[in-house]
Amino acid sequence: MLQTLRAPLPVLARYAPLAQTLALIVMIFGLSLALPAVIAHLLGDGAETAYDEALAGTFACGALLWLAARGHRGELQVRDGFLLVALAWTVLPAFATIPLLLVLPELSFTDAYFEAVSGLTTSGATTLSDLDKLPPSINVWRTQLVWMGGMGVMVLAVAILPLLGVGGAQVFKAETPGPMKDTKLTPRITETAKGLWAVYFGMTFVCIVGLKLAGMTWLDALIHAFSTMGLGGFSSHDASFGYWDSPAIEAVTIVFMLAASLNFATHFLAVRRRSFLPYARDPEAGMVMLAMLGSVLMIALYLWWTATYPSFWTALRFSAFNVVSIASTTGFANTDFALWPIFAPLWMLYLSCFATSSGSTGGGMKMIRALVLLKQSFREFTRIIHPRAMVPLKISGHAVENNLIFAVLAFMLVYGATMVGMSLLLTATGLDFITAFSAVAACINNMGPGLGQVGPAANYAVLTDFQTWVCTIAMLLGRLELFTLLVVFTPAFWRK
Amino acid sequence: MLRDLRVPIPVLARFAPLASTFGLIVVMFGLSILVPLIVSHVLGDGAEGAYDEAVAITLVAGAVLWLASRRYSGELQVRDGFLLVAAVYLVLPIFATLPLMLQIEGLSFTDAYFEAASGFTASGASVLSDLDRLPASINLWRAQLIWMGGMGVVVLAVAILPLLGVGGSQVFKAETPTPMKDSKLTPRITETAKGLWRVYLLLTVACGVAYWLAGMSAMGAVIHAFTTIGLGGFSSHDASFGHWNSPLIEAVAIVFMLIASINFATHFVVFRQRALAPYARDPEAALVVLAMLGSAILVAVFLFGHGVYDSFPTALRYATFNVVSVASTTGYSNTDFGLWPIFAPLWMLYLCCFASSSGSTGGGIKMIRALVLLKQSVREFTRIVHPRAVAPLRIGGNPVSNTLIFAVLAYMLVYGLTMVGLSLLLTATGLDFITAFSAVTACINNMGPGLGQVGPATTYAVLTDFQTWLCTIAMLLGRLELFTLLVVFTPAFWRK
Repeated sequence: MLQTLRAPLPVLARYAPLAQTLALIVMIFGLSLALPAVIAHLLGDGAETAYDEALAGTFACGALLWLAARGHRGELQVRDGFLLVALAWTVLPAFATIPLLLVLPELSFTDAYFEAVSGLTTSGATTLSDLDKLPPSINVWRTQLVWMGGMGVMVLAVAILPLLGVGGAQVFKAETPGPMKDTKLTPRITETAKGLWAVYFGMTFVCIVGLKLAGMTWLDALIHAFSTMGLGGFSSHDASFGYWDSPAIEAVTIVFMLAASLNFATHFLAVRRRSFLPYARDPEAGMVMLAMLGSVLMIALYLWWTATYPSFWTALRFSAFNVVSIASTTGFANTDFALWPIFAPLWMLYLSCFATSSGSTGGGMKMIRALVLLKQSFREFTRIIHPRAMVPLKISGHAVENNLIFAVLAFMLVYGATMVGMSLLLTATGLDFITAFSAVAACINNMGPGLGQVGPAANYAVLTDFQTWVCTIAMLLGRLELFTLLVVFTPAFWRK
Repeated sequence: MLRDLRVPIPVLARFAPLASTFGLIVVMFGLSILVPLIVSHVLGDGAEGAYDEAVAITLVAGAVLWLASRRYSGELQVRDGFLLVAAVYLVLPIFATLPLMLQIEGLSFTDAYFEAASGFTASGASVLSDLDRLPASINLWRAQLIWMGGMGVVVLAVAILPLLGVGGSQVFKAETPTPMKDSKLTPRITETAKGLWRVYLLLTVACGVAYWLAGMSAMGAVIHAFTTIGLGGFSSHDASFGHWNSPLIEAVAIVFMLIASINFATHFVVFRQRALAPYARDPEAALVVLAMLGSAILVAVFLFGHGVYDSFPTALRYATFNVVSVASTTGYSNTDFGLWPIFAPLWMLYLCCFASSSGSTGGGIKMIRALVLLKQSVREFTRIVHPRAVAPLRIGGNPVSNTLIFAVLAYMLVYGLTMVGLSLLLTATGLDFITAFSAVTACINNMGPGLGQVGPATTYAVLTDFQTWLCTIAMLLGRLELFTLLVVFTPAFWRK
């Protein structure tokens, strides 16, 4: 009785805080279109009006939603977190398509949405070709999506997912910048975001300068710094980094891809304490470096041994760039690595499933989960030999509780089942096995180029609309750590 | 001090019960070669000499081992179980190669061991071609290996593995014919084996008679009854079941492959109680049949839709036979399904990972583990929505303990890792992706033919020696449920 009085429009009141927050996000997103708009106007690249219209339209939508939801006050609840995250990653790409559709009239909505999702999920899979001939501001917008997606993901991993308890995300580094004990969503996320974004901005700035000094133009430096720090992989050139063929540029990019593969919370601590100690204490950082650089060396030797490259140093250069690019789920290429003996690209593809750190802008299941899975397998051997022994699973000295291990294992299962299911679906619609499998792996890991028909020398435009949507869903699922998105579609989620 | 007196030769005494049991098994295995020996002498097929020598060598080796270790009496311990099982599956194939190598000129030991291991693990992957021209007794020996391997595996799954606590095999049906509480290995296994083997023998006879009535020769009926009930898939014809091109024979094969995919302990209870109720109570039986027949219809519709076959009944005939054959990890074919649109063979390949029941002669992770994995994933969704809810995982109404779920999950992980690792190794040695991936899948699931270069129309003879050994290891690992074999190679196993 009291409840009925307090909430005259129960549904509206229930979702008003959510709608309000989403409206704010949409408005901010609309304002972010100012950057390509300014660049288009400065360069006069012919795309000016597209951004004006897109900016106005997006901002107006956000403002309308905000006004409509304004009257109902309330706190965001934990369960709203799932909806907010799911909506942010599915609705914003729809707005992001506006400039693309206006400037490229041939582009279908399916392909535009794919491109926008690929940006905001920092995947870097593209349906566009002739990138060099696009208005520069469009390439800025594409990579800016990656960069902003990176900002979102970092906060998602460090502040939101552990709170929602998704896929064992609580094992993600506990030492976050913001206060952990506050269970209210907003203050906690705001604090965390401020710290992480400061580091992200700083590193992006250094990356821009680094790329400029190595020989890029300022515009290219901006574009590629955006997609490097977001570990996205969009480029403004069809040849990607093959366009420059410059070891200096590749070296700078490798360094920043490695940096962006580490937990930004760890970077934050290192910067604040002016010490490298946090890296040593991070259970993932060392493993991430080891996995990537070890694989670089192994692939270089393999390529040299199979005589793909005549000298070891050439092999090392190409291996270093492409392996780090794929393993970190960036997706740049400086050569068509799909032409290498199949073991090398397959190894890189498998690596992209787990080689990045939690709290980084990378995709995949994350190194910490791989670590938990590996230790759980070892624990099972011990249990078989000593059936009565109690062996806790420890990550950097702390015992991980059973519920978390279960969550990580369930994540792994759903991840595997999704990959198998989606690649079967793609083969059923006519793709060959290697294209289907690599497209799903590349998309769910938010990596970008696959092999076969969607290899680094080709793009995703060859797919049918249905196949494109399957890949789009894979990117969204991967970015939102599967459960965040899937749980919204379970009936239990909507029951009171 | 007392201990020193009691154990004069500690190592010998420690392993003596193991060695004498193993010696007995070798002697019995030697005696089993008498079957092809007699057949060969009766038919005069030219292979008589090979069996004479093989029987003599095997019997002598077993007898010497038994005599040498007989004096040190003792009980087999649980940990000896691992060693005994590993020794049986690694060493018996060596003796099994004797008739093959003595008879078939030019067969290397690598290939002969692969063939023997393939038989003994009920896989059915073959390196031999021109089967129709081999002495009939050799084909009988190959099929007999499968049949005996099947006898071994039924007892392994129902009586030994649950005792060893491997990969959560305790969830395998609790309703075994014999008392479960006895923790001594020998009496328990003897009792269980007697019950299961009676059913196994009965079903084999029924299968053979049905084949004979459907039109096979007596010899063909025996050979194919052996490989059907063992879910092995060796045939005495290069064209496999394409040799007869008879829907009737195929129907008989389908029925008995389905029967052999169900837990033999359930069959036993059905025979004893003269009621079909045990099938309904078996948590796996219905799912096994549903998965196989459902997939048969799905693949039939897919093949008909793609115009692979003109009429739906033809599509259904080929789909049913090949889907049931591959899903049950038998490996017969009545057409080259490697030529079907890739979705169909891939679906069949994925199906063979889990479609057969525990306690059957099939391979893969088994339906019960797939069920645990599925339920664990669903449970995780519930946990995300209701973080404080306690939702036990139930199989057949009984809650499954966390330790068991962990064991099943670890099994899945090691299974996945092994598949990825072995297929990467095969690609690194030069195989293409589809061949490498399908060969590993077919071998680890004890199924038989893969796709690509090792497809149903070809054999494993194209592999290099190194690749052949990798596939042999995959078959042994799959048959021994990974941990049984792997644990023997851990240092902790050998520590006191």
